[in-house]
This record gives sequence, structure tokens and C-alpha cells, in this order.
Amino acid sequence: MKPRVLIGVFFIIGFTSLLMWNFGNSIGSFVTFEEAEYKGVRVHVAGTWDQTRPSGFDNQRMIFTFYMTDNNGETRRVHFNKPKPNNFEDADGLVVMGKMRNGVFFSDDMLVKCPSKYNDSSNLEVSEAPHSF
Amino acid sequence: MIGSIGSMAINLAFLASLGAMICFFLAAQSDNPIYEKIASVFYGFKGALVFLASGLLMYLLFTNQFQYFYVYNYTSTDLQNIYLAAAYYSGQEGSFMLWILCSFLVGLALLKWTTKTYRAPVMFFMTMTQFFLLSMIIGVTVFGVHFGADPFRLTSEVFAHLPVFQMNPGFIPEEGSGLNDLLRSPWIVIHPPIIFIGFAMMTVPFAFAMSSLWKRKYHEWIYPAFPWTLGANLSLLVAIFLGGYWAYETLSFGGYWAWDPVENASLVPWILGMAGIHTMLVQKKSATSHKASLLFAILAYATIVYQTFLTRSGVLGEASVHSFVDLGLYNQLLIFMLAIFLSGLGLFFYRYKELPTQEKENPFFSREFMMFAGALTMFLTGLVIIVGTSSPILGRLFVANPTPPEPSFYNQWTFPFAIIIAILTVITQYLWWNKYKNGEEFAGAITMPTLIASGITVLAIILTNVRQIEYMVYLFAAIFSVVGNGTMMINMLKRNAKLIGGTVTHIGFAILLIGFLGAAYDTPMLDQQTSNYNLAVQRGEVFDDEGFPEIQEIGVVLLYKDRPKLINNEYMVTFRDVEITHAKRPGEQEYTIHFEHIKSGRQFTMNPLFYPMIANSAPGNISWTVEPDIRTGLIRDMYLYVSGSSLVERENERIRRASTFQAVTDALMDENAGKANFNDLLRIAPNTTARVAQYNITFHRFIQVPDEYLPEDSIVAVIADIEIENADTKVKEKVQPMFALVFHEGENRVMSPDAPLENFGFSVRFENIDTGTDEINLRLVGIEEHVEDEWVLINLEKKPLVSTVWLGTFILMFGFSISIFRRWDEHRKRKEDE
Repeated sequence: MKPRVLIGVFFIIGFTSLLMWNFGNSIGSFVTFEEAEYKGVRVHVAGTWDQTRPSGFDNQRMIFTFYMTDNNGETRRVHFNKPKPNNFEDADGLVVMGKMRNGVFFSDDMLVKCPSKYNDSSNLEVSEAPHSF
Repeated sequence: MIGSIGSMAINLAFLASLGAMICFFLAAQSDNPIYEKIASVFYGFKGALVFLASGLLMYLLFTNQFQYFYVYNYTSTDLQNIYLAAAYYSGQEGSFMLWILCSFLVGLALLKWTTKTYRAPVMFFMTMTQFFLLSMIIGVTVFGVHFGADPFRLTSEVFAHLPVFQMNPGFIPEEGSGLNDLLRSPWIVIHPPIIFIGFAMMTVPFAFAMSSLWKRKYHEWIYPAFPWTLGANLSLLVAIFLGGYWAYETLSFGGYWAWDPVENASLVPWILGMAGIHTMLVQKKSATSHKASLLFAILAYATIVYQTFLTRSGVLGEASVHSFVDLGLYNQLLIFMLAIFLSGLGLFFYRYKELPTQEKENPFFSREFMMFAGALTMFLTGLVIIVGTSSPILGRLFVANPTPPEPSFYNQWTFPFAIIIAILTVITQYLWWNKYKNGEEFAGAITMPTLIASGITVLAIILTNVRQIEYMVYLFAAIFSVVGNGTMMINMLKRNAKLIGGTVTHIGFAILLIGFLGAAYDTPMLDQQTSNYNLAVQRGEVFDDEGFPEIQEIGVVLLYKDRPKLINNEYMVTFRDVEITHAKRPGEQEYTIHFEHIKSGRQFTMNPLFYPMIANSAPGNISWTVEPDIRTGLIRDMYLYVSGSSLVERENERIRRASTFQAVTDALMDENAGKANFNDLLRIAPNTTARVAQYNITFHRFIQVPDEYLPEDSIVAVIADIEIENADTKVKEKVQPMFALVFHEGENRVMSPDAPLENFGFSVRFENIDTGTDEINLRLVGIEEHVEDEWVLINLEKKPLVSTVWLGTFILMFGFSISIFRRWDEHRKRKEDE
């Protein structure tokens, strides 16, 4: 084998392993609240907003607090250190990033998944029963 | 009716596409000119049908025919015409149609301008891609398998399960569900078409590369393919720029780039296209690197298809904020992607042994090798981004439910690549245009730019707060690239100004790199108290109620009306006013935030907006969004948006009860907008107290009105003994409104005059009595809530060098344009010579 080819092969192997190693480290895993508590490190939790329980922004501590139900059906309080995200009410899914501590999830980043308009029939429901309120 | 014609047109177009594909294939294999003629007819027919279908869809959109699902789902009657037109490609189905149209037009140009050798095979590959795209929108079921999503399907089919359609299959919704409020921006009118023009043009180098492999003519293809690749890259660049600017300027995504999969979807083909352009240049100049040119041309298009698969199949799921709606096209998209990859790479490796190879390898220090090294670095950059974007698939090698990688993954990997590329641009340019006898001579030529660049870099480091060594290296590389390419450009302007395309592009790229560095220094601007709090949090000195250390820092500033706060020790910032303007949409609020630079005394105001997204909201639950205000500066931008206010909370309270979209709009447009709204009708029993706004209202007892005090004609009259207390000021006042039944002109009437209050600015009207429970209805006429101090939460950020990013992008576009003209000219002359 020519030395150039050899260098090339080494380079490719080295590059690929480094890339994949770094890639593996930089991705996390979606977990449930229970796993988040157990892990204690920064994680992603996907779930939905529990509208039946109180939520709101605390002007003193600058924290938006709400309850989220994870994909396992467990509900926990979430402290988000920013004001309520824009599409919050509208979202059909939330992903919060942060750490779990003592049953409270401290989040510093949130992905708000906008609803797929595909199944949005809210307009039709309303036109069907306009005075149900 | 129109819908059936439309569906029919798409289905026929699909068949015509198949016909054209077969005939172009036969034409490529035999010399009989008849095949190509038939194929062209099929091709033209297909194009006409797609135009017809698009026209019909446009007609349905403009005439608000909500019985069609696409119309129902993406428009509403309040939409302006430009958004009705944009709705054509706002959904997945329509965007496929737009892509097909662009691809068709590019194909027409190819039919006209491609030489005989490549025409039929090139058209075969163009038609093949359109065939696959058309299959996404045919909407037919064969043997129980459903193909494609028909843009003309009916609302009643999609919502067949809803009771309203079960009861009345002919039901037509009166109103559509509307275009997403975030998309109601002029940018949507130009951004998507330019992307699809780029996608369509990027098909051309792929088609030429494949044809060259097919027809075993490995060299000539680059001449016609070259201007198209440049054109595709220019389109993608413009599209990426528009997307970034849109995200930055109106959508408040916080920046112009977020490594989102949808963004990466156009970035990676752009990078691979760039790599292809460079290897094609080498191939032209020295008849080498055929393999690399072919591979990059194939991969640039293949990645477009791959990223289309990622963003449209639902694979990304939670990874992206704006991936498309999942239409169940997963299998079809997968087949499309596999077809492109397998045919492309398959043919490439099948012919691999025949491909021209170099007799003698290039020495390390040659323009060919340097150029190739640059292209390879670009390829690796693209590869890294693909790996990152593929996290939902590749990540499963590591964890069960992979999340997208942190942005730092992309940043850390592209960072060194950018440095390498920046330095290579200079070395290659010098080697490309000059002949050097030896390394020393080259070193001599490059000394001056190196010294100048070093000087500027040192100066820049002293003047700014760049302190990390890696950033210094990066900054040097970028400045070196500007200086080196700039020197070359000046030299070339003296010789032949037409040739400066490359150097201009490199300068633009290098300036872009400098601008990117600014993003590392984005800093929130906060008041002293908040900054101190954050520092204390960082030191672990803040504890919550349960004794755990606080880990969350605060990034917003709370401002009370007319109470200035010193921010960043730089500006006195005052919340002056907020007004409901309804300017661009119902309920839009405009804030006036006043700034005074404390050192210079310079004053200015910024006006961020806040508005409800009616089309996105469910009744009774309104989503709000923001439009930031940006103060653009040469060195840095100030980026301001509102994230909440007392007014928003009041408005929310006021429109909460509105049950339909129309009611919400009416409520927003109401003259009481902005004022507190609560029920001024109070139902209260004797000896009880109720709270309305800041008032405690006590109903003590009924007082019977003695006959002699009865009003004229009245049968019976009663007075309510009421005491009202302002809970804030503790001021009390008694009031005794009367309720009387009057017999007047043969009719019974209620008489309940307003009883005014002296201390409070409203009156009480005694409207009714429930004789069963003794409860009474009191109307508190003109009651107003004492409004707390108005407040607003602002996010204020310093974003350095954003203008530099735009500047770099414009120069890059300009460089591309120069090159396109030159290469098109070259290609034309070459054809004339033949």
C-alpha cells in the first residue's frame, strides 16, 4: 500500500471515531421525570402541559411555573427560568431541558412543539356548537 | 368539480412523467430521434398539467372554497391576497407542487441548452426526480396501499369522523383555520420559492454527473453543469440568508441560526455544492479530480433528498421546532431517498475503475492538492452536520430516545474546519493565479498579507474582549483570508476584472466568519440587582425555600412604568408607554421603551411588539407572540423583545370568555381593549359581603318603602341597604338604591334608578330580586378596577457583529453572481465552438 493511502485510511478511521465519540457525548436521551430524578444530571423530558393545575409567572423570582405530565403519565412541577414561551398554550407537546431536584424540574430551556395543523378541527367543533358556553 | 379536475391533472402529470422518463431512457440508449421527440411531448404535457393543477389550487385558495381541505387548513377569509398566494406552498402538498414546477422550468431550460450528447440522459434524471415528487401528491390507492397526499382532497373526507360531517356530509365550513400567524410575514412570499429554485437547480449537476457516468463521457459534463451549480448555490445562499434574517428580525428565534434540522437541510447541500464547484474548477484547469467532482455533484443533490426525507417524514419528531406536518409519506420518501442514493453511488462505483485517474499524484504543495484539501474539508463539514442532524436515527446507536445534539457539537466541529478553509482560500488563490518556482518565492509573496493580517488581528484583540486563544486563531484566519484575497482581487482588477468572482466570494466568506464570532459574545443586558443575583447563583450562594442552592439565572428585566432602571451600567431604560394599535393584526400592542446612554446622553426609543396569534389559538386560550425591535449598529445590534406585561395579563383575562374566533377578534378590537374587564353584575344575598375589583360590597338588609314615599304609579318598592368599602383606601360609603314596580299606561314596568356614590366613581343600580332566595342583582355602573402599576418584562441583548454577517452574505452573493456570468459566457462560447 502506498503511504498516502495508509495515511488516508488512518485519517478516516481517526476522524470517524472522534466524530462519533463526540456525537455520542453531545446527545442526550429523552427520559421520564422519574429517570430524571434518579439521574440528577441535565436531561430532556418530553410531555404535555397539565392545564388543570395552576401555572403562572412569578415577577419576584422571574420564574414561570407550571405542571407537566411526562410520557409516562407522571406530573411534576416545572420551574422555567424565563417567561412563558410564546406558543405555550398552543403547544401539543413540550420538551423541557434541565435538572430534576426534589420532585421539581428546573428547566432553563424549552422546546415548544407546535401542533400539526393537520388534525386541527377546533374551528369545526365550534361552528358545530357555537353557544355551548 | 374543480377539485376532481385538479386531482386528475396531477394523476395525468404523474403518468406523463412516467412516459417521459421511459422515453428519455430509450432516447439515451438509442440513436433514434423519435424517442426524444415523444419524451419532450410527454414532458411538456406534464408541465402544462402541473401548471393547470397549480392554477386550480390557486383559484380555490383565492375563492375561499373551504370544502377543500388544503384551502380550509391554510387560509381564512381575513387573509390578504399575498398570503392567499403564499398559502399555495404553505403546506407540504403545495410545496411539493412548487418544487415540481421549479424543476420543470429548469428542465425546459436544459432541453433548450443542453448539447445532444447529454440531453436525453440528463432529462431522464430530471424527469425521474419529478416523477418521485409527483408521486407524493397523487393521492391514489392501489391494492390497498395509499400513495401520496392529494392537495385537492375534501375537508369532509379528512374529518369524516367528526359528527358534523356524519350528520351532514355536504357541510362546508364557513371559515378556514387560517394561516399560522408566524407565517403571516412578507418573507413567506419569497423565502420558499427561492429554496425550491435552489433545490431544482441542484438537480442539474446531479443529472449531468449521472449522465456522464452513463454515457462514459467523464469530462465535458462540468461545463454545462458548472453555471447551474453556481446558480443553485446562489439560490440556496439567498434562501438561507432570508430564512436567517426572518428568524432574527421577526420571529425572535433569538438569532439568525440555530442548527435546526430544517436550516441544516439547505446548508449541507450548499456546502457540498461548494465542494463540487472547487473540484470542478480543478478538473477544468488540469483535467484531474474527476471522481471528486462526480461524487460531490451526486451527493449535493442526494443530501437535499435525504434532508427532505428527514424533515418531511416525521422522523425528526421532537428534534425540530419547524419540521413539516407528517402526511404519512414515510415509505415513499424513503424509497425516493434510496433510489437517489443507490442509483447515484451505485453507478459511481460501477464505473469507478474506468474513471480517469492521474498518472502522477499532485505534489503536496500544488494548487490542485490545496484546492482538493479545501473541498475535502468542506465535505467533512457537511458530513459533521449530517451526522448531527441525523441524531434521531444515528443517536440510537448510543441511547434509546436520542435528543438532538447540543449546538456546541456543531460549533466545535465546524470551528477548526472554518479556520482551515479560510487559510486555504488564500494559499490556493496565490497558487492558482501565479507560478512560483519554489516555496521561498511563494513565502515571499505571502509575507505581506500575513504581516498586515497579523497587525489587524492584534489591533482587533486589543480593542475588543477576545481573550480565548482559539478565537484569536480563528480571527486571524478570517482576517488573513480577507487581506490575502483582497490583495489578489486588487491585482486581478488590473489584469482582467471578469476573473474576480472567486476572490470576492472568498472575501465575503471570510467576513461572514468574522461575523459568526460575534455570536460567541451575545450577552443579555441586565440591571445591577439581577446581575448580582446571577453572580451569587453562579457562586452557589442563593438558596431556595427548601435550602437547596438555586441553579437558575435570570435573563429578563422587570420595568415599572416611568421608573427608569440602569441597565448594564450603560443605559437608563424606561418603560414609557404601551398602546394597543391593531396595526398589523387585531390586538397588536406596541411598547415604547426609552433608552438614555448615561455617558454620552444619547437618547432613543425602541418599540417591540406583542400580539395574539388568533389563528393558532384555541378559543379561550390565546397564544401570544412577539416581534422584536432591533437597533442595528455597525459593530453590534441591540435586540429587544417583550416577554410579558400587565397589559397582556389584563387582555388575556378579558378575552378568556370569548368562545369563537370571531368573538376573540371582536373582543380584541373592542373599545374597552386594554381596560380591565370583569362582571359588573353582582348577585348577592342579604347580610353577605362580596368583592368586586378593589371594593367590598355588603348588602345588609331590605328596607320597605312606606306607602307615602312610593314613587308615582308604583305598586311596590323596596330599597337595598348597602355599604361599600374600598379595600385599598378603607374609605366607606353607604348607598340605598331602590327597586320599584310601576304600573304605567296599562303595563307593569321596573323602575331602578342609578344611585350614585360620592367617593367612588360609579353608581349602583338595583335591577332585580329573586323572591325565592331573597338574592338581589346589583349593577355597578361604571366601576373600574384600580390598575396596579403597569409593568413589562423585557429581554434585552447585545448582539455583536450581526451586521457583519449580513455584509459577508451580500459580498458572497455578489461574488457568486460575477462567477455565474463568467461561467455562463464560457459555456456558451464553448458550445459555439463545437
